[in-house]
Amino acid sequence: MSSKMEIVQAADMSLAAMHCARCADGFEPNEKIVNSNGELWHTQCFVCAQCFRPFEDGIFYEFEGRKYCERDFHVLFAPCCNKCGEFVIGRVIKAMGASWHPQCFRCQMCAKELADTGFIRNQNRALCHECNAKVKAEITGRYMCHKCHGVIDDAPLRFRGEVYHGYHFNCTSCGVELDSTAREVKSRPGLTANDMNELYCLRCHDKMGIPICGACRRPIEERVVTALGKHWHVEHFVCAKCEKPFLGHRHYEKRGLAYCETHYHQLFGNLCFVCNQVIAGDVFTALNKAWCVHHFACSICDMKMTQKSKFYEYDEKPVCKKCYERFPNELRQRLRKAHEMSMKKNF
Amino acid sequence: MSQSCLPVNAKMSKAKKVLDEARETQNRELDLVDKGISSFEELPGLFNMSYITRLTLSHNKITMISPGIANLLNLEILNLSNNGLRELPVSLSSMPKLRILNVSLNRLDSLPRGFGAFPVLEVLDLSYNNLNENVLPGNFFMIETLRALYLGDNDFEHIPRELGNLKNLQILGLRDNDLLDLPREIGELTRLRELHIQNNRLQVLPPEVGNLDLLGSKSVMKMEENPWVVPIQEQYLLGISHVIEYIKTETYKILYNRHIKSERGPPPPKADKSKKASRVRA
Ligand SMILES: [Zn+2]
Ligand SMILES: [Zn+2]
Ligand SMILES: [Zn+2]
Ligand SMILES: [Zn+2]
Ligand SMILES: [Zn+2]
Ligand SMILES: [Zn+2]
Ligand SMILES: [Zn+2]
Ligand SMILES: [Zn+2]
Repeated sequence: MSSKMEIVQAADMSLAAMHCARCADGFEPNEKIVNSNGELWHTQCFVCAQCFRPFEDGIFYEFEGRKYCERDFHVLFAPCCNKCGEFVIGRVIKAMGASWHPQCFRCQMCAKELADTGFIRNQNRALCHECNAKVKAEITGRYMCHKCHGVIDDAPLRFRGEVYHGYHFNCTSCGVELDSTAREVKSRPGLTANDMNELYCLRCHDKMGIPICGACRRPIEERVVTALGKHWHVEHFVCAKCEKPFLGHRHYEKRGLAYCETHYHQLFGNLCFVCNQVIAGDVFTALNKAWCVHHFACSICDMKMTQKSKFYEYDEKPVCKKCYERFPNELRQRLRKAHEMSMKKNF
Repeated sequence: MSQSCLPVNAKMSKAKKVLDEARETQNRELDLVDKGISSFEELPGLFNMSYITRLTLSHNKITMISPGIANLLNLEILNLSNNGLRELPVSLSSMPKLRILNVSLNRLDSLPRGFGAFPVLEVLDLSYNNLNENVLPGNFFMIETLRALYLGDNDFEHIPRELGNLKNLQILGLRDNDLLDLPREIGELTRLRELHIQNNRLQVLPPEVGNLDLLGSKSVMKMEENPWVVPIQEQYLLGISHVIEYIKTETYKILYNRHIKSERGPPPPKADKSKKASRVRA
């Protein structure tokens, strides 16, 4: 723990009975004395046990009766993160036989933070619950029937959160033996507990006219949203960019996807790089920018270009071949080298 | 080069012909690219054509801009890329409609006092010159209307903290300089979506860079070829998003504060620049 000290004047106290906690000598009259938690020190004795320098701003850390400056205390005693090698100050995660920053202790498959969700040790790796389940399923490669505990060779039937052989069940309506194409229907709309759910064969299910969600492919028993030519669960009709459900708010459609207002404008509300006006007609897009028909041009000579024109990238702006060839040789060499490096990295 | 084969008067008539044609058709966009022009005197009557909105003079040999250019009251775009400019007239900054100024690939080693007074400038390209922080006029970072500032291929070691004034800046090009640090105020450029800092002498990034939206679908962050500290370099190999996430962490803030307080010398300058065309004596 860090502590603060206090400097007092020797004259304020009776000198005779006092001595320095470090060297045990007495104090001169009017000498400045350090008082820290009742112990007294010569100012020259009140120093870091490691570097023997006075404490900056009077802040020190105590460990096993010795006092250390902030720097040395960290070097000597603060735990080191097993991932980034930096000191861990604040919350320390002790796991897998080491110390970690909360943000450094992550699932070794999906990199999700594990500090608050817990983890499973799998072949000396820390994994989140989902990844651990995935690994287990991959190892066995197949599902096990929840009823007979036999291996399911073809597609499983999913029912009430478990997997089964289809032949253990019959359609609630027509009684035909079921397979993996059977549909699970909530018998009472709005009920979250799934132990009232029933199974129907595909034919009977279709006759019931229950819409299927375009996102999760499950039947929709509650409120149905119809958009983009499909049906959706209210909570599954989301912005293609931020994945937040619209919940009745206005959405914008583009190329078969729906977006919230913010992201539609961010992605498609194009401003021309040259005239900075919203582009009403055709849009040229390249190099993370947009241009109106009138302004898509070489950034060096202003020569108009079409979508088909070949151009070079320079500072994320288009440059025509003629202009590029007039660049100083040494610049072209550097640009070529930078381009090759970036290709290598992306590869 | 083809134009050097033409006699001088032929060159002049070539430019003059373009001017005459433009006057006839009242064309408001003037293209005088690669016409062998070395002085505005070869463009008689140009400054009376106050209706023009764009003047493109790239790939010529102009070494000086006549202050009379400020008569072009409707000019919005002035492109003087790849000339031999050594200085700019301060009258440029008084042009009331100038939105885009490109003086890249010249030989500028200073900017005039008061240069930052442009009323509506949006894009300023000063790349490939011989500029550094000591030759910027005091009001340089007062051009609040700037959307894009290109300073690549110059000699900057530091960027003044007044950079934070450029509230509308979306693009900042600082590639191929000698930058030793970036000001923390860069975090105040909330609209920034392109940051080019490749090929400098940077070891750390201000943690405030983590506040910027540099990971969006229209964003660009280029940071290769810098002597980054090991944790940044490691994250960089995983991808820019890892760098941004990392510099937001408390661990990084501690590392950054230690780094800027430590008295280690700066990394050595990069390869010598004497071969740059902006340096070579004509
Ligand atoms: Zn010490
Ligand atoms: Zn760590
Ligand atoms: Zn995981
Ligand atoms: Zn079974
Ligand atoms: Zn759904
Ligand atoms: Zn969204
Ligand atoms: Zn435009
Ligand atoms: Zn060009």
